[in-house]
Amino acid sequence: MTVYPMARTSTLGIIGKFAVALVAVVVIQGILSFKFKVFGYFDLPLIFSVYYGFTLGNPVASIVIGSSLGLMQDSLSAAVLGANGLSKTLIGFCAATAGSKFAVDQAITRAFALFLFTIGDGLLVTILGLMVGPASGATYSGALGGWALSATFNTLLGLVLFEYHDRWSNATT
Amino acid sequence: MNRIVAASKKPAWIALGIALVIQTGLISIQARRRIDTSFVRVWVLDSLAPVEKLVDRSTYAVHSVWDGYIALIGVHGENQRLKRQVDELQMQLQQHREDILELQRLRGMLSLPISDVGKTVVARVIGRDPARSQTVTIDKGATHGVKPDSAVITPAGVVGRIIHTSNFFSIVQLVIDSQSAVGVLLESTRRQGIVKGTGGRDLDLDYIDDDNDLKQGDMFLTSGLDRVYPKGLPVGVIVSIGPVRGLLKTVQIRPSADLGRLEEVICFIEHPQNVDVVDPAQGASNP
Repeated sequence: MTVYPMARTSTLGIIGKFAVALVAVVVIQGILSFKFKVFGYFDLPLIFSVYYGFTLGNPVASIVIGSSLGLMQDSLSAAVLGANGLSKTLIGFCAATAGSKFAVDQAITRAFALFLFTIGDGLLVTILGLMVGPASGATYSGALGGWALSATFNTLLGLVLFEYHDRWSNATT
Repeated sequence: MNRIVAASKKPAWIALGIALVIQTGLISIQARRRIDTSFVRVWVLDSLAPVEKLVDRSTYAVHSVWDGYIALIGVHGENQRLKRQVDELQMQLQQHREDILELQRLRGMLSLPISDVGKTVVARVIGRDPARSQTVTIDKGATHGVKPDSAVITPAGVVGRIIHTSNFFSIVQLVIDSQSAVGVLLESTRRQGIVKGTGGRDLDLDYIDDDNDLKQGDMFLTSGLDRVYPKGLPVGVIVSIGPVRGLLKTVQIRPSADLGRLEEVICFIEHPQNVDVVDPAQGASNP
């Protein structure tokens, strides 16, 4: 197989851009959550995992993106290392699968998916955390309400970001 | 990315399986606590924390610039407004202080035993002769009953007499004016005399019956004989007694009233009718 230098450079550039984008998403999430308490309800890595799952149409890339985002999110938080990684991996795969089989260009579809994925992510991360060992005195009585609130916020923000990204992508192509 | 995706021939299920195994393995290791997984966090933290720090510093810098410069738009106007407000409040405070001092002075004036010498009017000093500084202008004139040769005093002592009046203003000749003279008596011995202005700060004793018993600190009061000043008002105290010059010793008298800080004065608008003329022969025995 012949490798052309221009093609390799272009591929590395694309990978680099994706890496920078993923790091930026996690960093922005951490900064905004620190600066604004309300931003703790948002989950930018989840929104990006879903979005790239929908748009790339390839489960492998979506799995890598989700897994990377989740692992970085775990490393910068007190969550069990791998909990968000596992959850985002599944979300990326499911989003990619759904994107290849259903029409996910509609806002209602995206909103429904974002809401469900957020609830599922919260549930899975909580279960995995309980499996490893809950923190002493931790209560989960308000967990469902928190997930619902987070799902609502993610849905609204996700719809805005999806729309903005779609217009930007159409303008550049 | 699409080319990468297109070049990928591996089934998605395998990739998913590998990813899940890795993630589950990490979780399992943490649950059993047999292997320390903190190195993963350390790697990720070491990689991401500098970026976070950079972003945080950048946002902090932007925030600082915003707070320090952009958000200060309008602060200059507010600062000017507050300065004006402070100036106004300081002026009001100063005015209130002046009012308090004026009130104290007026209270002192009201406590004077001058009810038996006719009507008086309180006037404010509004000007001073810029050339000689031995006359002052007051804000009461003929319409207020002020007449020439009316006595002008303060609670501390004699100030002078009216020499000119207009409808609303009057000129007061101070006792230190070189053309001024006041009939006095020594408070301690009741000996009568005359003091004259020097044009300077003090008065000179122009005449007295006997200057042998004068001493520094003695107080001179108005005698009332000049028919300008009511009897018994403080004129001044002896500040120095010099050698005999002519027939009398050189005696300098410092006015009791602070003529350099006049603000309000009392002006007699009725001349005293019954001047208590003191007999020089009985002065010492009838204090």
